[in-house]
Amino acid sequence: MVNYIYLTVLFPLAGFLINGIFGNRIKNEKIIGIIGSGAVGLSFLVSLFSFFQLLGMPAEERSVIVNLFSWLNIGALHINFGYLVDPLSIVMSLIVTGVGFLIHVYAIGYMHGDKGFFRFFAYLNLFIFAMMNLILGDNFVVLFLGWEGVGLCSYLLIGFWYDRKFEKGTVSQAAKKAFVVNRIGDFGFLLGMFLIFMTFDSLNFQDVFAKAASFPVSETTFSFIALFLFIGATGKSAQIPLFVWLPDAMAGPTPVSALIHAATMVTAGVYMVSRTAIIFASAPVIMTVVAVVGLLTAFFAASMGLVQNDIKKVLAYSTVSQLGYMFLAAGVGAFSASIFHVMTHAFFKALLFLGAGSVIHSMHEEQNIQHYGNLKKYMPRTYITFLLAALAISGFPGFSGFFSKDEILWNAFAKGNFVFWLIGALTAVMTAFYMFRLVSLTFFGKERFGHEHHPHESPAVMTVPLMILGVLSVIGGYIGIPAIFSGENGNKFEEFLKPVYENAERKMVTYGTHTHFEEILLMALSVAFALTAIYFAYVIYTRRQEIAEKTSAKFKGLYTVLFNKYYIDEIYEASVVKPIQTVSEKFLWKIADNKIIDGVVNGTGILIEKSSNVIRKLQTGIAQFYAVVMMVGIAVVLFWIILSL
Amino acid sequence: MDVSNIIESLKLIKPEIAVSASLILVLIFDLIFHKDKKLIPYVALLGLFATGYFVIHQFGTTGFGFATKSTFKAFGMVTVDSFGTFFKLLILISAVLVLFFSSFSDEIKKTTDRLGEYYVLIFGMILGMFLMVSATDFLLIYLSMELLSLSSYVLAGFTKLRDRNSEASLKYVIYGSVSSGLMLFGISIIYGLTGSTNLYVINSLIQSPQINVLALSFALILVMAGMGFKISAAPFHFWTPDVYEGSPITITAFLSVASKAAGFGLLIRFIKTGFAAMTLNNGYWMLNPIFDWKLIIVILAILTMTLGNFSALWQNNLKRMLAYSSIAHAGYLLLGLAVFSNQGIAAILIYFFVYMLMNLGAFLIVMLIADKLGSEDVDDYDGLGYTSPFLGISLAVFLVSLTGLPPTAGFIGKLYIFSALIDAKMFVVAVIGVLNSVVSLYYYIRVLKHMYLVKPKIQPVEIIPGLSQKFLVLLLVVPVLFFGIYFSPIVELAKNCVVLLGF
Amino acid sequence: MTLYDIIFYLFALITIGSAMLVVTTKNIVHAAFALLLTFFGVAGIYVLLAADFLAIVQIMVYVGGILVLIIFGVMLTNKITSVEIKTGTLNVLTASIVIGVFMGLVVSIMVWTGWYSMPAPIPATTAYGLGETLISDYALIFELLAMLLLIALVGAASIARREKESL
Repeated sequence: MVNYIYLTVLFPLAGFLINGIFGNRIKNEKIIGIIGSGAVGLSFLVSLFSFFQLLGMPAEERSVIVNLFSWLNIGALHINFGYLVDPLSIVMSLIVTGVGFLIHVYAIGYMHGDKGFFRFFAYLNLFIFAMMNLILGDNFVVLFLGWEGVGLCSYLLIGFWYDRKFEKGTVSQAAKKAFVVNRIGDFGFLLGMFLIFMTFDSLNFQDVFAKAASFPVSETTFSFIALFLFIGATGKSAQIPLFVWLPDAMAGPTPVSALIHAATMVTAGVYMVSRTAIIFASAPVIMTVVAVVGLLTAFFAASMGLVQNDIKKVLAYSTVSQLGYMFLAAGVGAFSASIFHVMTHAFFKALLFLGAGSVIHSMHEEQNIQHYGNLKKYMPRTYITFLLAALAISGFPGFSGFFSKDEILWNAFAKGNFVFWLIGALTAVMTAFYMFRLVSLTFFGKERFGHEHHPHESPAVMTVPLMILGVLSVIGGYIGIPAIFSGENGNKFEEFLKPVYENAERKMVTYGTHTHFEEILLMALSVAFALTAIYFAYVIYTRRQEIAEKTSAKFKGLYTVLFNKYYIDEIYEASVVKPIQTVSEKFLWKIADNKIIDGVVNGTGILIEKSSNVIRKLQTGIAQFYAVVMMVGIAVVLFWIILSL
Repeated sequence: MDVSNIIESLKLIKPEIAVSASLILVLIFDLIFHKDKKLIPYVALLGLFATGYFVIHQFGTTGFGFATKSTFKAFGMVTVDSFGTFFKLLILISAVLVLFFSSFSDEIKKTTDRLGEYYVLIFGMILGMFLMVSATDFLLIYLSMELLSLSSYVLAGFTKLRDRNSEASLKYVIYGSVSSGLMLFGISIIYGLTGSTNLYVINSLIQSPQINVLALSFALILVMAGMGFKISAAPFHFWTPDVYEGSPITITAFLSVASKAAGFGLLIRFIKTGFAAMTLNNGYWMLNPIFDWKLIIVILAILTMTLGNFSALWQNNLKRMLAYSSIAHAGYLLLGLAVFSNQGIAAILIYFFVYMLMNLGAFLIVMLIADKLGSEDVDDYDGLGYTSPFLGISLAVFLVSLTGLPPTAGFIGKLYIFSALIDAKMFVVAVIGVLNSVVSLYYYIRVLKHMYLVKPKIQPVEIIPGLSQKFLVLLLVVPVLFFGIYFSPIVELAKNCVVLLGF
Repeated sequence: MTLYDIIFYLFALITIGSAMLVVTTKNIVHAAFALLLTFFGVAGIYVLLAADFLAIVQIMVYVGGILVLIIFGVMLTNKITSVEIKTGTLNVLTASIVIGVFMGLVVSIMVWTGWYSMPAPIPATTAYGLGETLISDYALIFELLAMLLLIALVGAASIARREKESL
């Protein structure tokens, strides 16, 4: 089955083509939905079989290249259109197709009755197609193709309801913001690619990584490559300083937020860093940068999540924060831990978004959690699954998030330092707090919505995916139980991914050993923190609302700062956008542009128009004239030859 | 030359024989069944398929045919090699497509009782083009060009219902005659200098120092002017817009692709066999230093594409715009020739293959729209993208491909041309080429703007193509997109076909 | 200057002079008769070049056939003189300069070039040799000419039939 891995890419493409071309003819939502989700389901099955086949192979052989065709052959550049199946890509493709399939099914119910139903499914399939290329590509060009493809789909899907209002602007503006910010990141990625090609004369993963592991390349070069790649990753994975687009991306339909802006696309940056682990491992300075950026993103995004009132906004900041965790893990060199978190995060964050979608659906597009309350009475299935996901993300012992987050925190301490752990743990506390603030305000307490709302449970097509994801959120972590619990077998997930990072591990300096006691202690501490936070959040937001109000009144300054996302948008506006505008208006526009550039541009335009007019006049339609020009041409050439003799 | 030699030679020109046989068959068929002309297209198609069989069989075959007593034994008038076969295939495919176009075209349908002549003349064109791309003797070069010209003169004015038509035809005849006269003059000078019409013989003779370089250059320029006329290179391009606009659109499409391909095939073979002393190991040609070949071709190329692109900017008639755009494309193709290396020739072959698909596609859509709309004016395309989404999107694909943007096949064509230039360290030329593509973006996109962004003043007509028409459009759209992503088959084919027999 | 040369220049003068008349005269009948002289001149040059067969063919086909056809055409369609074609003498100055330059070049090339030459052949009948060459060495060219004429016929028929159709 591994050799047929390209089917995982072709099925969604077929789905996209069928729904995209014939969608408006089919009209039947059921058929469109079945085609759309069926395509992804089939991809999932192929990935699953491939996964088992891979498991059956000896560990060192678990890297299969499926070459489809020779693609580019220009000069020194030889690119095959090929897919690489190895533990890392198969794990990612399982996540993308598995979670993607559930979200597709869910979307059948969620998008019911939308005028763009077929368009939606076509885009979703196109997204899966691009994402699979990104994950499976065996060289940077295919990866980049997928990278741009998912960006395009993200843009299309954020702006899906292009005619609606979103916050202060319109949905299209939000889509545009995502597009522009992503372009900045992509530019960095592109520079990284060029640098890689210049350094290693190849863009194939195997060649590049083999050369990176053995060739003597200066650390500075590695640092620049890693830095550019990381800039690309910050754009796609919404890290500081390019995270501003993700909250706005919530303008898209909720299944999109779940699929693209939580479970899959935004983890592309993590995947890329993990894939190029050897390059990052060779640039320790950039590794530290990655870790610090991840940590700061995790911390600040979590703090912003504390005060948001829009249910999807809370989840958006939570996503940014969790992505920060993943980069923290990658930054300290625990790549498999970061991929592990990608997986568990995909389960519970998709579930959270879908649950939120279910709530929004039943509350008729109301997204303010202050206007919810006691919804557990009306939508028990949504409530229970949402609660499971919230427990998972908060790191409740035994749930999936517990294992993955703990793994990261432990690595932050063991391979990083105590400060990393501390900030990470604080972030975990905040995470637990804002999640249960969300749960409490939504499902517990008094009903704070008007009588015009009649909350109801969503149909089975939506709740069944929720339940499946609920189960996964609970048990998904058991494949990666840390070694101290599972005994001599060690961490199975880590074992599985190990071959991918072998070279990188070798390059990294190993730190002194830590005892099991330390690990248990830190784990216990973070669990205790999280439980306390959960308790407080529950108490404050279900029974003692006044505490919340008092606190926010007392720390009004802080509250406003947090609520306004540290004024990052405003700071960007003031520090980047405004100065550019002012300078451009005062100087560039008034003087340079108006006088010089306008002159030049208009001049060129006029010149082109004039010369075009002149050239056009040559075409007089008079036969003799043409003949004369022809002869003049010959005569000129001849004269020139005579002169050059 | 004895009989066995002739028989051997005949084996090399099976495709040409098939074309001639089909020509005569269609003519006879037309005479016998003159009441019912419906069958003629099928007969013609059958003939083309038979020809196609021989052409495909010819891949890999090499040899010289019809050597004369006076020439060295090995070198004949006809040279069969993969390079020529590639062009024959190209010509044949476009002929088949144009045959299908003709069966949809309202213009052609109106001339039912002269349908026989139409197909006979098309076969005449094909025969001329087939011989052009494999001719290595001036006699054959001239005759095959005349055969092509004569057939196309008549076809350009075939539908008589429009005044433009006969004007186009007449102008075509006048320029054609002038350029063919010039070419003949050049050939006569070369014959006077060398005493031979065979390119191989000429090649070996002109290396001697007795040859008057000025006279030779003069003759060469005249001969190349004749070929430049066929590929509509500046300053011999003036006939193109008038003729393309006035001709029936099927013929315009055929002229813009097949006739141009034949002209290029001839020009490349002419330069390579006649004037390349040898081919270096890295694929570059050593040309006889009669004059600065590279500079002349580069200047011609730049002039051609710049004139083409700039004149296309303000054209409102789509057919005319496509005519200018085809001039510009000839310019890009000349850039590939200017490299004078196997790599450049491979790029030309790739480009031609792609150009055939996208240009024929664009003409097909314009034809389908013109049949319904009765207009080729871009202002009448307002809002068409919404009422006729299929045609709109297809035209968009073709135009984007003509511009040379990824992920369409047009991008691949340009990519290989420009990378050949860069490989030859002709950076400035490459930049000029890219800038020209940018200019071309403007007028191609302008059509899309009209189709999608301009609010129509009147409710635009809904054009729903028939099933077979849709199929034909898809037959062109799909490869344009497909080869934009997976292009190694064409690249491989082209690379296998660059080797010209000879020096 | 030998007698041969004198005769050559005489024929050349006849050819060029009458050809000039063909393109300059406005009277189409005069032009047709001038063309007659041109053909004769060319036939004379053929004779001088020892191409006897060609000379005969030139006179028989062009003078006897084509020219008579043209004159018939002129006589039968009295309207031919009043046909409006977008014509006239345009760009006289440019054209003269270009043609002048061109002619100068051609003349200088003619004078300065060492032409490939063979010793003059002994005058003998060429018909046999021509015939043999046409079916052996130039078989392809010969057949191709046949196709060319066929196409020309079909094309002419197609153009001629258009009158009937527009009714």
